[in-house]
Amino acid sequence: MGETRPVYAGLSHIEVVLFYGLAVVSTGIFCWGVARLVLKYRAGRREPLGRLVRRASSMVDVVFSHRWIRRRDPIAGLGHLLLFYGFTALFIGTTILGIQTDIARPIFHADFWSGRFYLGYKLALDIAGVLLLAGLTLMAFNRAVRRPRRLGYARPDRRAGEYDRSLYRVGDWVFLSTLFSLGVTGFLLEGFFLASTPQHFAAWSPVGWVLMKWFRAMGLTGSSAALAHHVTWWVHAVLALTFVASIPFTKAVHMIASPANVAVRDPAAGKRLSTIAADAAPEDVGYRNLDDLSWRHLLSLDACTKCGKCTEACPAAAAGLPLSPRDLILDLREAAETTLGAHAALGIRPDGWPEGLDVLGDPIRTASVWSCTQCMACVEICPVGIEHVPIINQFRRQLVERGEMDPMLQRTFETISSTGNSFGEPKRRRPKWTEGLQFAVKDARKEAAELLWFVGDYASFDPRNQRNSRALAEVLRRAGADFAMLYEAERTAGCDVRRAGEEGLYSSLAEANIEAISGCEFERIFSTDPHTFHTLKNEYPGFGGSWTVLHHSELLLELIEAGRLELRPLGYRVTYHDPCMLGRYNEVYDAPRRVLEAIGVELVEMPRNRDNSLCCGAGGGRIWMKEQRPEGSRRASEQRIDEATSLGRLDYFVVACPKDVTMYSDAIKTSGHDGEIELRELSELVLESIGAPTDSATALAGTKVAPD
Amino acid sequence: MSTADNFVGIVVHAGGNVKGLFGPRFLPGVVAYLARHGDGTSPEGTPEVKAVVCVKQVVAIGDEIAFTDDGKSVDGDYLDHAVNEWDVVAVEEALRMTEAASAAGEESEVVVVTVGGEENEEALRRCLAMGAQRAIRVEGQSGALLDPLTVARRLAPVVAREAADVVLCGVQSSDSVQAAVGTMLAELLELPRVAVVKEISLDRADGTATVMRELEGGLVDVVEVDLPALLTVQTGINEPRYATLRAIKQANLKEIEVVEPSQDAPGCYEILRIYAPPRGEGAEMLEGSPAEVAARIVELVKARLS
Ligand code: SF4
Ligand code: SF4
Repeated sequence: MGETRPVYAGLSHIEVVLFYGLAVVSTGIFCWGVARLVLKYRAGRREPLGRLVRRASSMVDVVFSHRWIRRRDPIAGLGHLLLFYGFTALFIGTTILGIQTDIARPIFHADFWSGRFYLGYKLALDIAGVLLLAGLTLMAFNRAVRRPRRLGYARPDRRAGEYDRSLYRVGDWVFLSTLFSLGVTGFLLEGFFLASTPQHFAAWSPVGWVLMKWFRAMGLTGSSAALAHHVTWWVHAVLALTFVASIPFTKAVHMIASPANVAVRDPAAGKRLSTIAADAAPEDVGYRNLDDLSWRHLLSLDACTKCGKCTEACPAAAAGLPLSPRDLILDLREAAETTLGAHAALGIRPDGWPEGLDVLGDPIRTASVWSCTQCMACVEICPVGIEHVPIINQFRRQLVERGEMDPMLQRTFETISSTGNSFGEPKRRRPKWTEGLQFAVKDARKEAAELLWFVGDYASFDPRNQRNSRALAEVLRRAGADFAMLYEAERTAGCDVRRAGEEGLYSSLAEANIEAISGCEFERIFSTDPHTFHTLKNEYPGFGGSWTVLHHSELLLELIEAGRLELRPLGYRVTYHDPCMLGRYNEVYDAPRRVLEAIGVELVEMPRNRDNSLCCGAGGGRIWMKEQRPEGSRRASEQRIDEATSLGRLDYFVVACPKDVTMYSDAIKTSGHDGEIELRELSELVLESIGAPTDSATALAGTKVAPD
Repeated sequence: MSTADNFVGIVVHAGGNVKGLFGPRFLPGVVAYLARHGDGTSPEGTPEVKAVVCVKQVVAIGDEIAFTDDGKSVDGDYLDHAVNEWDVVAVEEALRMTEAASAAGEESEVVVVTVGGEENEEALRRCLAMGAQRAIRVEGQSGALLDPLTVARRLAPVVAREAADVVLCGVQSSDSVQAAVGTMLAELLELPRVAVVKEISLDRADGTATVMRELEGGLVDVVEVDLPALLTVQTGINEPRYATLRAIKQANLKEIEVVEPSQDAPGCYEILRIYAPPRGEGAEMLEGSPAEVAARIVELVKARLS
């Protein structure tokens, strides 16, 4: 018999029986809680789940690499990493012990918990315990000392006093201290045991060994140490069993729900919205009742760790609008608990928690639903893969169905439905912007071309954007690109119609455009509008239209790299704003930057760049709604210009999206930075770099772009 | 909608137009109506509140336009179509009336009627998507601009047959702006009619409707009218609901009744020619940089003032 120790050292037979009894109760409560969770999720709409292996492997990757948790907060990331690995190792250790004690020995009469294995086990668990405590300390430090704003429970979507989140704060600390106490009592147990029963291999539990030395120095040996061990053992055991029982009901539920959500999440969430069944009854459109939520979305509510990263990234919250993605999820979670979950089964409803299946209106306020720009900042940063964007979109669909929307938005839908564009212009005027060109753009309906330019509404009808369209047309002509347009046959692509919740209108636009495009001969499509680019590329395939779709920044880069443009360095100092639909939605971050590099401008990045880019506030159909402006707040677009101008002297604020052109031209004026910085669309700078006079320089003088 | 205190109400009683109801031409309709309301009970299955709304698909013209070869119409390529704004408001009003009745447990029905070619069914679909129960199209040649009397004559037998409590029309159409069909239809049906209505409340026990009309200078004209009656509805009376494209697509599956018009009497006018008015003299297009344009404007204003 090698090195080992008795498992229930010093416990009477009755105590051991009592312990097993408590363990059964604890496990029972845990299982009941998990069953309630499963029942709750099953109340949701069915949705099939495929590719299980790929899901599992992606979950393992995300969870064990901590790739998502680490982002934008390395300290909390490290803290969680330590405690996660510490906890996991201790969990595995306890499981091994359980197998030894309750399966291997009684059933197979085998003892593997001894000798070298035992020593390695002791050492490993001591290290794991240290990791756990270090991680917990770091997390507590983060919460108590660093106190990033996102961890506070202040709600941007409610007035102070309208809500009470103290329960969550208590829950967070109880969770932290429970784990901490488990770690500490575990080490104390080792120390007391070694102090009462000296072992020659004590040094294999370094922490226990140090504690033992300490206790001995204090005179704690023999039977007094054994008594301390006895008491601590029970404290540790009760704490552990309580913790296990509490998992499905407290913050600890994220230990189950978060990995599960990462596994079942939709990797295209928000990017590819769902369709509506053709025969759906009006009350079944979108989300209104909790059981309208898909089971995945119900599950995701429990996955939320309240880290606040989504709300921190949310442009609506930043602009003081009544929206906080985290609190939207928490409101739904509370409602789901009190109507479908364990709380409902037990008849418990904490103060202020909503109840009732119908959540649209209260607690999910329509103003919140309409404040969202569908920018994906929340979904993109959420460490557990929660899908705020499609959830909000589903609520919008129900509101649209009921006609509960901004009258301006309703008029825009009606305009689009009758004219095919959001400007209410007759379709004949769509190609009018080309009149300033010195050449005729090919008509794709009549001639084949290599490239089909899907121009989009803003680039076709808005005067400031028409200038950029002409700039690009001229650049393409100089590069010898063979391109054509749809002329009158083009309709608005519908990306924002879809994101505003008018799915029926979106599908009819998509069908009409697909029909128009299918009649043309071309190889690839491109657009200057990231919204158009996105939906053509990613969502039209669902309606039967699959093509290679490019954003003009990618096309420009291609032409530059092929040496088809003679560029002259411009020498400006600029910053670049990533459009949501190009960046977060499609991860096109480098093409525009490399174009800027090629035309010899110095790019100074804003602090929030690439995936952390701040939405201009126009997306999700917000550009068609009356602006809500809380007193004393600054628009997201103005905050963005503040951010740019804080970088020192810059020549240009460069954008690559027609809506950004409109939003930021305004914001430069209204933010009080007029004259400090100017706006340029990427194509305009490229045009300048190839040495052609820009439209903007010449149009004011009342002349046309000069022929070359 | 509320009447502000400073409004002056003028209450009159119109109608009692019972003699009209017994006019010979539309006797069947009247008999049907009396059958429903005469003894205060309604036959099984017939709705208790029934509204007929006459709607028109109007055209919107952009700044470019071309005419058909015969010079009597506008080239369809240059036109966008929509349901007349006033008529959408009338449909909404009818739906609210009947919804109030349905909420009270009574049956109700809204029927929409239009005159025109098949392409005009789009307008009917939109109304069905809003919530109307049935739609009827009285045949009329596609693309032809019918005169109001012809339209009213084609509507009349269908509307009479429906024997509604209220017939609603928009005040006018946004494209031809004649405000004539509603009034003509009332005359043909020999129904009491109130025009440019901004508020309606039905009292069906009494068999009357109290309607409000806004007059110049903030005056309010309150009229009590016997039912059945024809009302022409002004915009602003309500915010029409949104018909989602999904609902419109679903409405595509509903059947639209098509009625052949009876013999056509000559209309009240005939279009001889449509053309763009010659451009007037005296306009000067200012060109140049903003500074140059501004300088020129100053010059012009000064010249006018001196
Ligand atoms: S999509 Fe953007 S605006 Fe909407 S909740 Fe998420 S972060 Fe906020
Ligand atoms: S939804 Fe995601 S990002 Fe937002 S608080 Fe919850 S876990 Fe954090």
